Amino acid sequence: MDYTFQWGVAFSYVPYLLGGAWITLHLTFVGFVLGLILGLAAAVAQVYGGPVLRRVASAYITFFTNTPSLVTAFFIFYGLPEIGILWSPYVCILVNLALNAGAFLADVFRGGINSVRKTELEAAEVMGFSLLAQVRYVIAPHIAKSLYPPIANLYIIFILGSALASIFGVEELTGRAFNVDAETFRSIEIYTIAAGLYVFMTIAASMFLAALGRYVFRVKTKVF
Amino acid sequence: MFDLVFEQIPLFFTWQNALYWGRALLTTLSMAAIGCLVGFVVAFMLVFLRTWPLLFLAPLRGLLIAYVEIFRRIPFLVLTFLVLFATRGFGFHLSLFTVACITIVLISTAYIAEIIRAGFEAIHLNQWESATVLNFGRVRTIFYVVAPQSLPYIIPPAFSYFIMFVKETSLTSQIGALELMSAGKYFNSMGISPILAFGTCLLLYFALSYPLTRLGRRLEGYLKQRYKRRSSMSADGGDLGDLHQVKGVA
Repeated sequence: MDYTFQWGVAFSYVPYLLGGAWITLHLTFVGFVLGLILGLAAAVAQVYGGPVLRRVASAYITFFTNTPSLVTAFFIFYGLPEIGILWSPYVCILVNLALNAGAFLADVFRGGINSVRKTELEAAEVMGFSLLAQVRYVIAPHIAKSLYPPIANLYIIFILGSALASIFGVEELTGRAFNVDAETFRSIEIYTIAAGLYVFMTIAASMFLAALGRYVFRVKTKVF
Repeated sequence: MFDLVFEQIPLFFTWQNALYWGRALLTTLSMAAIGCLVGFVVAFMLVFLRTWPLLFLAPLRGLLIAYVEIFRRIPFLVLTFLVLFATRGFGFHLSLFTVACITIVLISTAYIAEIIRAGFEAIHLNQWESATVLNFGRVRTIFYVVAPQSLPYIIPPAFSYFIMFVKETSLTSQIGALELMSAGKYFNSMGISPILAFGTCLLLYFALSYPLTRLGRRLEGYLKQRYKRRSSMSADGGDLGDLHQVKGVA
C-alpha cells in the first residue's frame, strides 16, 4: 500500500488522449459503415442467394462470430505479409473491424429480413408496389424499427473492441495511453483516465444514437 | 508463396507442440469459466440487493447501477492493464492468470447483472405478489418463485456472454497470461510462419467456440420448450392443461 497517486501529471495528458479518442471514433465509424455494407450483403446472400452463395455467406458469418477479433487481427497483420499483402496498421485494423462487424451485423440483418411477414409483402404486391417501393415503404421502415437498437448496441461494443488496435500500433485512445504510460510510468492514473474517457465517449455515443433513432427512425431506445 | 509453411509443417505438428496447445486451450477455457461462474454468483447477489425495495438500501442501489453502467463501457484491454498495474502498484503480486480472472469477473458481473435484472423483470408482478400473499420472505420469493421462472430468460444470454468471454480472453495475452493467443505468439516468435501459428490459433478458437454456440442454442430451445409446457398448463386456469394431460394419456 505504498503507491502515491500523481494525478496532476496524468491529467496534463488529457488533451493528447482526447485526440486519440477522436481517432477511435473515426476508426470505428468507418469500419462499422463498411461492416454495415458487408453485413447487409451477407444477409441478403444468405436469405435470397443460391446454394453456393448461401454457403459462402454462412461460412463467413460462422467463422467470424466464433473467432476472437484479436486473433483475426494478428492473422491479417502478420499473416498476410507472408503472401505479399502489406497494409498499414490502420488499414489492417479497419479491414479486421469491418469483417468482424459485418459478420455480427449479418446475423442481425437476417433476423430483420426474416421478421417481415410474408402477408405484408403480398399485400404490398397486391397494392401494385414495385420492388423498390416495397423496399422503401414496407421493408425498410419495418426493419429499421426492429434493427436499430441492436445495431446501436453493436456500435458501442465495437468502440470498446477497437481498443485492440493499440496492439498493432494504431495511436487511438488506448494506444496513446500506452505511450503516456511508457513516458511517465503513472500507469494506474493513465489507465483510469483512459477508462473514464471510454465511459464518457460511449455514453455520448449512446445518447447521440438514441437521439438519432428517435428523430430519424422513430425508435425509442434507452441510453441507460 | 507458401513454401515456408509447407517446410515447417513437420516441424510444427509434433506431440510436444500439441500438448502445449492443449494446455493453452484449457487455460483459456478455465479462465472464462471461472470468471463467468464467479461473475454469475456475484451478479446474482447484486441483483438480489438491487431489487430489494427497502429505503435504506437506496444508496447501495445507486452504487450498483453506476457499477453496471461503468463496467459495461470499459474496454477489456484497458481494464486488464488497470487491474494488472493496480494490483502490482498496491503490492499484491498475483499471478497473471488471477489478474485475467479478476478482470473477467469485473466485466462479466456487470453484463450478467443486467441480464439477471431483465430476467427478473420479465416475471409478471402477480408472481411476486402471490409470493407475498403466501407469506414468503425475500429469499424464498427469489429462490422458489422468481429465479426458477426467469431461467429461460437468463441462461441463454448469459451463456452467449460466456462464449464472448472465451474469445475476449485472447486479449489477456497482452499482459503475458499463457493462454491460446499467447501460444500462437510464442510459436510465431520461435520462427514458425505466422500463417501457421495464428491459423492454428484461429482454428482452435473456432473449435472451442463453435460447439459452445451450438450447445447454447440447444439449451435455449430446451429451456423455452420446458417453460412453454409449464405456462400452458397454468395460464388457462388448468382447464386446458388437464385436457392436454388427458390427451397425453390416451
